[in-house]
Amino acid sequence: MKKTKENPLAIVVAGIRLKNPVMTASGTFGYGSEFMPYTDLSKLGGIVVKGLSLKPRQGNPSPRIVETPCGMLNAIGLQNVGVEAFITDKLPKLKGVDTAVVANIFGETVDEYIEVAKRLDDTEGVSALEINISCPNVKKGGIVFGTDPFEAARVVSAVKKATRLPVITKLSPNVTDIRVMAKAVEDAGTDAVSLINTITGMVIDIEKRRPVLATSTGGLSGPAIRPIAVRMVWQVSQAVRVPIIGMGGIMSAKDALEFIIAGASAVQVGTANFVDPDISVKVVSGIAEYVERHGTTVKDLVGSLTTG
Amino acid sequence: MQEQRVEILYNEPVSSRYFRLGLKWKTSVIVPGHFVMLRVSDGLDPLLRRPFGVYKVLNAKGRDKLKGDGIELIYQVVGKGTGILSGKTPGEVLSVLGPLGNGFPVPHPSQDIVMIAGGMGIVPLYLFASTIKRGSLLFGARGKAQTLVAKDFKALGLKVRFATEDGSLGHKGYVTDLLSGAITPGTIVYACGPAPMLKKAAEICAKEGAQCYVSLERAMACGIGVCLGCAVKASAHNERENKNYVMVCSDGPVFESALIDWDRI
Repeated sequence: MKKTKENPLAIVVAGIRLKNPVMTASGTFGYGSEFMPYTDLSKLGGIVVKGLSLKPRQGNPSPRIVETPCGMLNAIGLQNVGVEAFITDKLPKLKGVDTAVVANIFGETVDEYIEVAKRLDDTEGVSALEINISCPNVKKGGIVFGTDPFEAARVVSAVKKATRLPVITKLSPNVTDIRVMAKAVEDAGTDAVSLINTITGMVIDIEKRRPVLATSTGGLSGPAIRPIAVRMVWQVSQAVRVPIIGMGGIMSAKDALEFIIAGASAVQVGTANFVDPDISVKVVSGIAEYVERHGTTVKDLVGSLTTG
Repeated sequence: MQEQRVEILYNEPVSSRYFRLGLKWKTSVIVPGHFVMLRVSDGLDPLLRRPFGVYKVLNAKGRDKLKGDGIELIYQVVGKGTGILSGKTPGEVLSVLGPLGNGFPVPHPSQDIVMIAGGMGIVPLYLFASTIKRGSLLFGARGKAQTLVAKDFKALGLKVRFATEDGSLGHKGYVTDLLSGAITPGTIVYACGPAPMLKKAAEICAKEGAQCYVSLERAMACGIGVCLGCAVKASAHNERENKNYVMVCSDGPVFESALIDWDRI
């Protein structure tokens, strides 16, 4: 008997069923509904919402962004509505949208991570949690958890105990060896890792002899960082067994496929959403075309890189 | 409202660093004060779109809400993006996102209107003036050469007063020097220009008891309220809505001046 043809783009990542490997990255896609006038959210594998904290956060002073060659530097400071307002005001707007919704969470203390995770645990419509241990733009928490393998493991095991949802841990590239961080969070029980977050950078106004950003430094994103991100995904794929979600400067299907071939089971499109709010759907179409042309599936492409 | 590729109708210098850009674009409704996000090339550098105020709606129909065959923007060549834009020729296509933002609120028919513009701040106020067709304009610039579109205003039949920093046209000094003499407590003031000018205008209006709306400009990545890059500190007055910051793109770009914290602009 002929088997029903499976969707060649479908992929399961840490128990999260995605109809295709393309997700939108946290901090670049609002709470999802903002993009409804511009794109069809149901065509996406998943969306990762803006990082949520226990209480609303006002974010950093302005200027918060500056453009750089093939990229941008940002220091938004995790401005968000807080987990309660997300559940009551934002999440209901995604009802009926056929895509996986991942809640990105962060805290200034391990307890805050636990509280946010618990609050989302019995919330209908959330498929997974992504733990942000890697934002470079907040003074407390964030980067300390993201650069110290012991602290990172502590957050991950605490969140794992607090939720039944699959847990993705988002890694910072601002470390000497990202494999050490990936292994630490794998040992602590994370179901997947996502990488990379932004790379710390700085732009100076030479006339004023002052940093352009109010916080002096910010996180670099966009196509400028893509080769670094691909390299890190490749390295991490050789160091851990948990699935990887790759990101960093993806602007096209070709870029996304580099990550997948390097070892990512799924990808996240970030800064590109600012340039073209429909770009993530275009990445999906491009991957579909590639998969068809090569007579393969996304599942078979993951980590299919040949070296040497 | 999708991102659209539109044809360039004209892209002509008004003076050495200022250009008029006409785009063939069957727009949805445009309200004066709206802006668009243009991508100046399909390459990766520059990466981000740039915001531009709408100067004219071509063959416009409608009173306050305009529909037409296209739009005209005026821009100044200031960096890489606008440099690339200035080299574009008719027939080439550009990606445009918009119209975006809230636009200027319509004044009460009995209200006296004063528009105050500094430099490129003239752009959205011209579209506003051409739909309202009354009131007076105070226009400030560095020198006479920067008052380039003043003749368009004169053609509207509005009273225009100039201020130039070098004294080459009108009052020598800042345009805000002319404001207190031009308003009374019932006046509604619409302001667009550099932040120090807007701050001064807001102060004068508050002192004279005039209503004041300002159109702000900020670096922005997305234009649709998601990157949160164009944040401006809100005044304590606005904080009751739990808005410590307002976003120029999605909450504005036009704000009642009392909603802005002018000490931290």
